[in-house]
Amino acid sequence: MNARDWALITFTILVQMSVGSIWVLGVAHFFAARKYGNEEADRLSDRALLALVPVIVLAFIASLLHLGNPFNAYRAVTNLGSSWLSREIFFGVIFAVLAFVFAFLQWRKFGPFVLRNVIAWLAALDGLVLVFSMSHIYMLPAEPAWNTWATPVSFFATTFLLGALAMGVAFVANYAYLQRKQADCAEAQCTLMREAMRWIAVAAVLLVGMELVVLPMYLVTVAGGSAAGLASVKLMAGTYGWVLALRVLLAFIGAGVFAMFLYRNAMSEGHEKMLGSLTYAAFIVVLVAEVLGRVLFYASHVRIGI
Amino acid sequence: MANQKAFYFDASSCIGCKACQNACKDKYDLPLGVRWRRVFEYGGGNWLFIDGVESPNNVFKYFVSTACQHCANPVCRDVCPAAAITKRADGIVLIDPEKCIGCRYCQWACPYGAPQFNEETKVMTKCTFCADLQDQGLKPACVDACVMRCLDIGDYDELRNRYGSVADIEPLPTGNITHPSLVITPHKHAEPSGQGTGSILSLPEEV
Repeated sequence: MNARDWALITFTILVQMSVGSIWVLGVAHFFAARKYGNEEADRLSDRALLALVPVIVLAFIASLLHLGNPFNAYRAVTNLGSSWLSREIFFGVIFAVLAFVFAFLQWRKFGPFVLRNVIAWLAALDGLVLVFSMSHIYMLPAEPAWNTWATPVSFFATTFLLGALAMGVAFVANYAYLQRKQADCAEAQCTLMREAMRWIAVAAVLLVGMELVVLPMYLVTVAGGSAAGLASVKLMAGTYGWVLALRVLLAFIGAGVFAMFLYRNAMSEGHEKMLGSLTYAAFIVVLVAEVLGRVLFYASHVRIGI
Repeated sequence: MANQKAFYFDASSCIGCKACQNACKDKYDLPLGVRWRRVFEYGGGNWLFIDGVESPNNVFKYFVSTACQHCANPVCRDVCPAAAITKRADGIVLIDPEKCIGCRYCQWACPYGAPQFNEETKVMTKCTFCADLQDQGLKPACVDACVMRCLDIGDYDELRNRYGSVADIEPLPTGNITHPSLVITPHKHAEPSGQGTGSILSLPEEV
């Protein structure tokens, strides 16, 4: 692990979290608006949306840190025809611009609702293409530990898992803020927050379940594929075995155990404080788990050849 | 491919002296850790115990001198996001340091370890096939330095007609990924890529 690897870990994790967040926000806003109208839905999601802006900015600053010559960074989109890295940067910049424009318009309530909706959809769809491109960067024939279907699957799992829990944190923080501002406002918001948290808990349990099913299949496939693949698995299970163990344990605790409690506490009113603490805990534990997973991803790849 | 310059390497006569590696380092004044040409020592086999005495059985080793293969399918060029890597009409693959952003993506893609990061210039570098010398009709520095005359260059098709089509012996990777412009006369103990029973014996710092 060196500074460059940490730059890539930061960039990929934050970008994926942002893409997942846009989707979670969109779904939450859609169902919230159906139940309580656009105004209440906006109050649920607007601050969460604004919080994404610094996250995306941070992600792109991190991405520059892994370059030897960042002054040439603008050239990174000049090989769209054959380089997935070019495509990633291309769709990444589009995602950032759309997300910023949408966040600004939504914050200021500029422009018609339909226009804002269209921009949000474009950002969300572009985000999927972005994560897809990102995963294909690593699918190189010379890198057997990366060149499997598990790369896109795990990237998308990280996307929605961190997106869901990050927005969970944003929702409970937003609710606490609203309550502090005016204690009686929170009737509809309380219901919306609790319902969002219930679905976020369900999503977390399903996604971490998927991760835990994919992991052994992935290890077996890579170990049996080639000598370099076997060397990678030996690194993952041997030298970095403790990282792998900790990653699995934390994912299970955060998105499994904590999410179960989250679901139960979100069932009825009166547990908002507990709900908040649980959400923060689940997010932090899962974030650490996903970062460890990504550390493993960069630390254990063994290229074939010399 | 028509008109493709290629390296020829005679593994049956290489003695592993590394004159090629040093000539390359010297000509280009490469910093510590950057080696456009590398000489690998590869070996394996077992020893037998006969009457309590260790006796050589099928112990073997041989050397492989390798650089950029200026491949027919240069994956480094394909993956480079900055379009900094190009393939000339004569098949030579070059990195333009003015365009390189130093992301090291080509390093992941190339199974020959040819693109290497220069910590001093902060961009990727690799074997240029001594394009400057070849443009004057001269041979690359590594070829001229080879005391055993086991390194040469030529037209890819001509080299294949003369020496055969072997390009993948251990520890080199299979040629399926990039289709290297490389012709090898294998050592008598050479093992095919991907089916080796031996291992690289060189110290990691040497290669």
